[in-house]
Amino acid sequence: MATSDTSVLETGMKKGGGTFPRSLLSASSLGRYGLLAFGAAATFFFFVLPIAKLLLLSVQNEQGFTLSYYFELFRQERFWKVLRHTFVIVLGSTALSMALGIVAAWLMAYTDLKHKKLLNLLIVLVFVLPSYVLTLSWSSFMGTQGLMASFLQLFDAGAKPWSMYSAGGIIFVMGIHHFPLVYLFTLNVLKKIPRDLEWAAKTGGAGKLKTIARVTLPLSLPGITAGGLLVFLASLDNFGIPAFLGTPVNISVLSTLIYEEIIGFGPSAFARGASLSVLLGVIAIAGTLLQWFTVRKSKATETGRMDDEPRYALGRARAWVGGAMWGVLILITIVPLLSMITLSLRKSYGGKLNWSTMTLDNYRYVLFDNPVIWQAIKNSLVLSSITLVVCLVIGTLFAFYRVRKPSKLNKLAELAISIPYTLPGIVFALSMILVWMEPVPGWNPGIYGTTTILLIAYVCRFLILQIRSGVTAFMQIDASMEEAARVSGAGPWTRWQAILLPLLLPGIVGGGLLVFLTALTELTVSALLYSSGTQTIGVTIFGFEQAGKTLYSTALSSLIVLFIFVGAGLLQLLQKWTARRGGNN
Amino acid sequence: MSIQLHDVGKTFGSYTALCNVNLNIADGEFVAILGPSGCGKTTLLRMLAGFEQPTSGEIRMDGEVVAGASTLVPPEKRRIGMVFQHFALWPHMNIYEHVRFPIRTHKKTPKAIRDNEASRIEQVLELVGLSHLSQRMPHELSGGQKQRVAIARAIAAEPSLLLMDEPLSSLDALLRMNMRREIQSVHRQTGSAIVYVTHDQGEALSMADRIVVMKEGRIEQIGTPQDIYLRPETEFVAQFVSKANLVRGHWDNDLFIPEGSGSSVQWRGAGVAGYFKSNGLYPVRPDQLELGPAREGGLVGQVANVQFQGKEFNYDIVAAGQQWEVVSPVPYKLHDQVSVTIPERELQYA
Repeated sequence: MATSDTSVLETGMKKGGGTFPRSLLSASSLGRYGLLAFGAAATFFFFVLPIAKLLLLSVQNEQGFTLSYYFELFRQERFWKVLRHTFVIVLGSTALSMALGIVAAWLMAYTDLKHKKLLNLLIVLVFVLPSYVLTLSWSSFMGTQGLMASFLQLFDAGAKPWSMYSAGGIIFVMGIHHFPLVYLFTLNVLKKIPRDLEWAAKTGGAGKLKTIARVTLPLSLPGITAGGLLVFLASLDNFGIPAFLGTPVNISVLSTLIYEEIIGFGPSAFARGASLSVLLGVIAIAGTLLQWFTVRKSKATETGRMDDEPRYALGRARAWVGGAMWGVLILITIVPLLSMITLSLRKSYGGKLNWSTMTLDNYRYVLFDNPVIWQAIKNSLVLSSITLVVCLVIGTLFAFYRVRKPSKLNKLAELAISIPYTLPGIVFALSMILVWMEPVPGWNPGIYGTTTILLIAYVCRFLILQIRSGVTAFMQIDASMEEAARVSGAGPWTRWQAILLPLLLPGIVGGGLLVFLTALTELTVSALLYSSGTQTIGVTIFGFEQAGKTLYSTALSSLIVLFIFVGAGLLQLLQKWTARRGGNN
Repeated sequence: MSIQLHDVGKTFGSYTALCNVNLNIADGEFVAILGPSGCGKTTLLRMLAGFEQPTSGEIRMDGEVVAGASTLVPPEKRRIGMVFQHFALWPHMNIYEHVRFPIRTHKKTPKAIRDNEASRIEQVLELVGLSHLSQRMPHELSGGQKQRVAIARAIAAEPSLLLMDEPLSSLDALLRMNMRREIQSVHRQTGSAIVYVTHDQGEALSMADRIVVMKEGRIEQIGTPQDIYLRPETEFVAQFVSKANLVRGHWDNDLFIPEGSGSSVQWRGAGVAGYFKSNGLYPVRPDQLELGPAREGGLVGQVANVQFQGKEFNYDIVAAGQQWEVVSPVPYKLHDQVSVTIPERELQYA
């Protein structure tokens, strides 16, 4: 065997077994430093500079530094009214999300409900849908022509459903849109609480309720708080829901107020928008820090192992608890979605709907008759595809270095890259305008108003999503996987192509799909950055809605829903395929 | 492949992982590196693989410098195989593909193997007893089978050095014993040098030609298993490898008089290492001591604890103000008075 021809082997060794000369090594390290410097500069330019510009603009006028914009704001009655609305809406929807999320998480984590996979999918769907699609669904469901109205009129011919165009409506839609965030966070925490802790409490004489109150709740509190703060931030950031439901009835929140300021132009519109943005940004960053600390605290208590087995048997209650859960979930997503889709099939807003009056006219108009809409769809598709590719490449490489060669520098870079996503979209969008009108004093690259600025904004905002899924994917691949390939003689190219990419694929494709769908349906950033010819799908739907063309906006939204379902189906297929290949062992 | 490590050191920031390591490994030799966790044994192994670069000193393989403070031949350019602690199987490849990977990928795979890929794979799988499972995926295998795949992959391209990083630590006790036999057989049949890292002295003693005992980044002792076990040179080796009691007393040339025994007891110890002689200690393993009925004139102690082990008892004996571990087949009860002696046959190496 191996001993038979060691002489051949040894001579082979001597010929091929060269070593790196010193000069080569230093040349490659020179290249590495060059790359590092370039990366640091790019990170600063794309992720830090915009925020710096925004801050600067809010405290500067022709005379120099001033806080006058802030003082002016504080004097306005309107500002305080908006602030009040913002807090009522954000806190109200956060409370609703937490209530729904915690109950759903507890049921899904601990009880023996049936069909948990499907239920989970249905819950996540509420969050995956763009907020304005959910808004349109609910406004058509609760509208005078909607299913709810028909249902109520069965009992009372004059009955009218509760109007979604109100603070209550905004709170409600926001609350159900964000509850999956609390759900996912809490579910994760609950499943990681070792069940022997509960057993220990019970052997110590604590009853069911006491066990929940004294063991489960305290242990899950950091996780629940973190989820709650995340929803708080998401609600603060949300633009679509208050813009669709609040603007028509003069209810503004901070995000829509900034939009109105910038769109309204007028003197010092940018500066006023900037100071409002700084205020909103400060609240968001404070919330993020708080969230970060609670997550860190919850990490200290978790043992890491997920326990998927049910801990409480519902017994005879199982049927109706399950039924209630299905009922609620179908009522808050599927029924409104169907309501929106049927609306999009009507000839006219007031018309009666039956099989003979059903029409695809609205779809024909949206897809073929109006070149502007077609242009918007094309814009969104092109933008989100390029964003996907750029994020996939940069995000995956960055995640690789972040996981395999962690350093202070790349930790700092990750922090910087997460800024655009941490900040409310409207704040980030304004900072993009400010920085790209004149990135370096005296240089206007002329990209403001083009699709390029949208592309840069999308990449900057969504890169962190790809990085996070990449980091998660890399963390699941032990470094020894690569090392085993190296001792087998595989160079960098073979390692990526034969080992890393196949193992990473499900994770980074999932992340990529998230980036793609988020970019495809993006509204907030696009609403500030688009100009004629560079509309996106989100902006177009927003425009239809503002113009009262509900049939077109619902038709386009229904197309988005179709797209999301196709995307989710593809992901499912990919995961099935990789699971069969043994991708998750 | 012959390997020379010359004054090899490695620091991570202010932490010294390895310090002045000198070691020669002959072609075909089975060397075990033994030590507790954090002793630098894994760093040393990863340095032989090329994953870590020494901060000082150099490593030569067949006379050629492969690693030094300014040079590093990367792992993919060394002719090595490696078996990892947690198998490191690729979840997306079946067993056949695992074994094929190094044959196809390694630039220095001997032509004879490359040209007869299929028969080589068959031969290697045969050697580890997995021919019938070649189409299985890693998640369809048991722990022992996974480790066999890892070994098959490591030897497939006929490396001249096989590195093993605690390969048995993820297996259960019974399987560990069986796998020792398999690793010995792989060593016999491939004839390649093996460097085997472990914290289990049983594995090192049973398989290796030579053992390197390490502690806190330094080599404590190098020697054959018998050397290490029977003639430890440091306190650490005596306690970590042979679980020896360090009896306090004083030396009179080659004779040792245990503390508190009067001078009626004398143990011969010409072969006991200088360290113990100069520190008034005598290393004696639990199985060297013999217990008997208490009698006048000898070392008498009391049973402080007893654990039944099946074929023998483990005793803690308190005698002359010291506590010793003793293994004996003779049953005694707690608090019994017993005499402690070293029989003549146990002094033959001393």
